[in-house]
Amino acid sequence: MTSIKPASARPILQLDHINRRRAGRPAVQDLSLGLQSGQVLGLLGVNGAGKSTTLSMIAGAMRPDSGSIQLNGEDFLEQPELARQQIGWLPERAPIWAELTVSEHLDAHGRLRGLAGARLREARKTIIDRLELQPLLRRLAGVLSQGQRQRLGLACALLHTPALLVLDEPANALDPVQVAALRGLIREQAAAGTAVILSTHLLAEVTAVCDRVAILHQGSLRHEGALDSNDHAALERRFFEIAMHDNTHAAHAA
Amino acid sequence: MNPFAVTRLEWRRLLVRPLAWILAALTLAWLAWNFTLLLGGFLTTQVQRAALPDGPGFVDLVAVPLLGQLVQLAFLVVPLLTMSTIAGERRNGTLPLLFAAGVPASRIVLGKYLAVLGWLLLWLLLTLAMPLALAHSTALDWGKLAAASLGVVLLLASLAALGVACSSFVSHPAIAAAFALVITLVLWSVNLGAQMAGVNDGIINWLAMSTHAQPMLRGLVTSADIIWFVLLAVLSLTLATRRLNADKERG
Repeated sequence: MTSIKPASARPILQLDHINRRRAGRPAVQDLSLGLQSGQVLGLLGVNGAGKSTTLSMIAGAMRPDSGSIQLNGEDFLEQPELARQQIGWLPERAPIWAELTVSEHLDAHGRLRGLAGARLREARKTIIDRLELQPLLRRLAGVLSQGQRQRLGLACALLHTPALLVLDEPANALDPVQVAALRGLIREQAAAGTAVILSTHLLAEVTAVCDRVAILHQGSLRHEGALDSNDHAALERRFFEIAMHDNTHAAHAA
Repeated sequence: MNPFAVTRLEWRRLLVRPLAWILAALTLAWLAWNFTLLLGGFLTTQVQRAALPDGPGFVDLVAVPLLGQLVQLAFLVVPLLTMSTIAGERRNGTLPLLFAAGVPASRIVLGKYLAVLGWLLLWLLLTLAMPLALAHSTALDWGKLAAASLGVVLLLASLAALGVACSSFVSHPAIAAAFALVITLVLWSVNLGAQMAGVNDGIINWLAMSTHAQPMLRGLVTSADIIWFVLLAVLSLTLATRRLNADKERG
């Protein structure tokens, strides 16, 4: 097992020896990760590698079977309410309440995250302007296109200005213009000091916006390190090595 | 976090879904029609009853039977209202969002329960408004009406808790509604066999909802009946909370 250890200062997120089983098999095994403010970590892996399970645990939607998660030095598993203010999460398929409007979604998420009154109004205004949601405000979420739905999910995740942004395959179903806008937003968040974890199986996505990368395979962390934007070929080689090596082993074992 | 954030969200969802409005419109129309029939019957027999010193009054012949009809409708209305509360969230994939917002399972359950209960109380108030509209022109037995109303409130509160519990155990709202309806009917009539055999006490009668609801509808309030309804509601909400906690553990 390898782990990403921060070079200095206390990490905003620290996972230590996380294990989690799903459907009777290990989905995440002995995972340790650290992330500091302003860093963008790309979590790479093939389908079923354990990326979404990892992100669900980081977001507070699922508890690990063992291990610890620290958020800003505090035990997140003991204090799940820390997620309320400090984490913004966009799951793989942005879940919505189809019968509510975009505006009502923002209000509901704001209240669930502890915003009210003037703070909620201010947060709403900022995120509506930033993600250009004004024309969609009165539209029912159930009739939004996939890209609009993803924007709404992102708005809900960012509404309370979290210290850690967790994005699970955010570029799914987005057109190239929307992908470029998303990349811009991620860079902007990182520049403002937000730590970002981005899960994807697209290498280009990682090399475009991430400064660190972690490769998960069959629930285990197989590679981690800093990423240079020119490293695309090396990263691709490493990614395929890990995936093919394990598949070859599996074939031999069979 | 605003303690009523989940209640507010659920209330809003109830108000924008056509189902709640259709249920309200149909049931209130049915109750209004029955109210006019009961009132007609009451007026027709007014002269004969005037001769009886302690004959049944407006509350006995109009208000209580009307509330009895509301209770019968509630057997169907409450499961339909509660079926999506948690099963719908699970089906939508929005339940993890509530967990990730740090909302404890107990608050999710309670929030949804209070929203449904609010709707049901409004429904009861609109029904009560019919006999109350005639309060100025007839002698109301306020004590009996209050007891019957309390009985209906307790019954609605426990049915709503049962519905939320059923919704927490399944992923499909229709299955949740079916479960809630079947459990309600079983609870109501579990002592039917015993009563037909002439047994009117014992645990089987204590278990039956009808044993506790019917005296209240007749104006007789006992703490044992109140406790029965409160126990049913607390047990249902506790089961729902445990199930949501297990969901979070399981992921």
